[in-house]
Amino acid sequence: MKKILALTLACTMVVGAAAPVAAEGSDKLALNVIISQYGDHTQEWWPTFESKFEEANPDIDLNIEIVSWNDLYTVVNTRISTNQAPDILNIDTFADYVADDLLMPAEDYTSEELKAKILPSFWNANEIDGTVWALPILASARALFYNKDILEAAGAEVPTTWDEVLDACEKIKAYDENIVPWSLDISTDEGQAAFSYYTWNNGGGFTDADGNWALNSAANVEAVNFMKTLIDSGYCTADPYTETRYPQQDAFAAGSLAMMLGPCNLYDIAAGVNFGVAPMPTNGDNESVQMGVCDRLMAFRNDEAPDQEARTAAISKFFDAFYDAETYSEYMVFEGFLPVTTDSGEILAASADKYTKGDGSANGDSEYFATFCDMLASCNFYPASKPEWNDVKQGVINAEQQICQGADAQETLDLLQEDILTLQEENEAAAEEEAAAEE
Amino acid sequence: MKKHSLLKKAEPYVWLLPSMLLMAVMILVPIVTVFQLSMSQITRAGVIKGYNDFENFKAVFRSPTFWHTLKNTLVWTVTVVGFSTLIGFVIAMVLNQEFVGRKIVRAIVVFPWATSLIIQSVIWKYSINADYGSLNVILQKLGVIEKYINWTPTAQAHFAWECWIGIFVTVPFVTFCVLSGLQSIDTAYYEAADIDGASFWQKLGRITLPLLKPSLTVSTVLNIIYVFNSFPIIWTMTKGDPADRTHTLATYLYKLSFYNGKSGQAAAVSVIGFVILCICSSIYMILSLRAEKEEQ
Repeated sequence: MKKILALTLACTMVVGAAAPVAAEGSDKLALNVIISQYGDHTQEWWPTFESKFEEANPDIDLNIEIVSWNDLYTVVNTRISTNQAPDILNIDTFADYVADDLLMPAEDYTSEELKAKILPSFWNANEIDGTVWALPILASARALFYNKDILEAAGAEVPTTWDEVLDACEKIKAYDENIVPWSLDISTDEGQAAFSYYTWNNGGGFTDADGNWALNSAANVEAVNFMKTLIDSGYCTADPYTETRYPQQDAFAAGSLAMMLGPCNLYDIAAGVNFGVAPMPTNGDNESVQMGVCDRLMAFRNDEAPDQEARTAAISKFFDAFYDAETYSEYMVFEGFLPVTTDSGEILAASADKYTKGDGSANGDSEYFATFCDMLASCNFYPASKPEWNDVKQGVINAEQQICQGADAQETLDLLQEDILTLQEENEAAAEEEAAAEE
Repeated sequence: MKKHSLLKKAEPYVWLLPSMLLMAVMILVPIVTVFQLSMSQITRAGVIKGYNDFENFKAVFRSPTFWHTLKNTLVWTVTVVGFSTLIGFVIAMVLNQEFVGRKIVRAIVVFPWATSLIIQSVIWKYSINADYGSLNVILQKLGVIEKYINWTPTAQAHFAWECWIGIFVTVPFVTFCVLSGLQSIDTAYYEAADIDGASFWQKLGRITLPLLKPSLTVSTVLNIIYVFNSFPIIWTMTKGDPADRTHTLATYLYKLSFYNGKSGQAAAVSVIGFVILCICSSIYMILSLRAEKEEQ
């Protein structure tokens, strides 16, 4: 008897394991949202938003999943390849999804009021072939952060040009050998940011004036060689190839790093040191260019959804609720980022001291955030709407690392440019083929 | 009566069924899927667009990084397995002797094994950091060095450190495999050898090594597979950088897939690794089994 019982049990286990999980019966329309984790406070803010939203919209079941940047691409790609794309996604890139025809045009779900209040430069930044595919969720700007006490003690001025950077670094090194004067991150994590800082401030960049890839320009070669000079002179952290920005931020906050090119939310982290913010140093007479970073929210198509209209309406409601001036400015304050809508910009500019640390332990500094909000208007952004962007991003990181390890800058960047142009041709040929097949 | 015996015959299979199913689902399905993916065109966003005439393999073979990575993988596997086996063997011999505090030493030897690889790698990474690493601080306090030393100035230096950490964490596994083998050897053999006046080396070569062969075979084959596929150490330390010079196949395919958006090529690298591993393990198993048979 016992044996038969055990056998039945084993069989049930086997069948149970194979049986699919029963779907939950519900009349509510489910919206699956993936939000990327910007900091420790992201986890606190969204659940409150979720419950408020569901209270106001009882017919919608909002599922918000917060994913760290480390796993984000893995999670999203796996979801897409298994036909489980989220309804709404918060990420930085979007061109790849457009290329695969996965996204809904932003006009489909953006109300007139919402469109009117998004800063035009950010709205346009998400355009490919005349269609806008995503909404900006938040902005951040990068600038030069310096430790006032160290610079003063070393007798160095805040640098505005590259020559002054070298001069200040030398003075700091002479003042205290154990302080690292300058930070450089050319790691796989964010090496493309360093490429932007130095090439843009040398009159170069990823593209030329017409928007064509120009990775091997003379200005870029000079800029990458300047990075190598910084490393070879011993002015940077010893291992810029594998050390990411985050330990460098910690070092800055601990007072063992004198200067770094960092994001505006460094404010929160570096509260313990006496620091100042200045525009990025440039080479000679070039104009100082700051880097803006803009992440996005986008809605995926779901051709299998039973009621497309209701789904689109629900997505619209989500965006209207999120970009509501009060709600949105509260979120910006929580994360320490800069708003991309005019009305919350006004709210925050009027009382920028609202920018407190998420846990309320430190008061904000209105002047500090006003500086960054002003900067935002003149920032340069990554050319993320070009379909080759991801290859360019990995390509420049690899090139920087090779050059700083001793490879010839011109040759390396020439090769990269050649690769990217070949890829562009392939992409265009494939697009034409697809268009012809559709006809 | 007949019915009963049928039930009896089927019983073991019924008991085995859950684990067989689990194996099929968790092992066979992914293997087949990776083979399929390696021959498919996959877009950056993860959409599978159908078979593409081995284009992924061709692209992988054209890439100089792949060949460099393959060389690295070979160096990594041979160095880590070779040195850890050698060191582990010596430690096991020592631990097999009677001495005071043997139990404590055995516990200490297990520590590196019992700690997660990621944590080990992070600790090592911060220890050898040139700017704030504890290694420099300790050496400076001891007066060994005057200035902080950059322990990882080149890609080769990075890779050498990674190999060392690999050896460090693998030694306990070998030690305990060998130790269990040593303890199963009948002491009567050694007593007999002593009476015949055999030297230490003679005993080692004629008694210990032949009788240890089964446990050494198991530990080496398992080690080759673990080390070949090991991901955490290299990924935590360098992510394959600088300039993709410190990759092994495992980290290279991860970067191809999740950083460069080339899942098809990543699957191709995965298939290549699988094939290499199958061949290596089979050769080793066949050779050692044959040798065992001959001895019998």
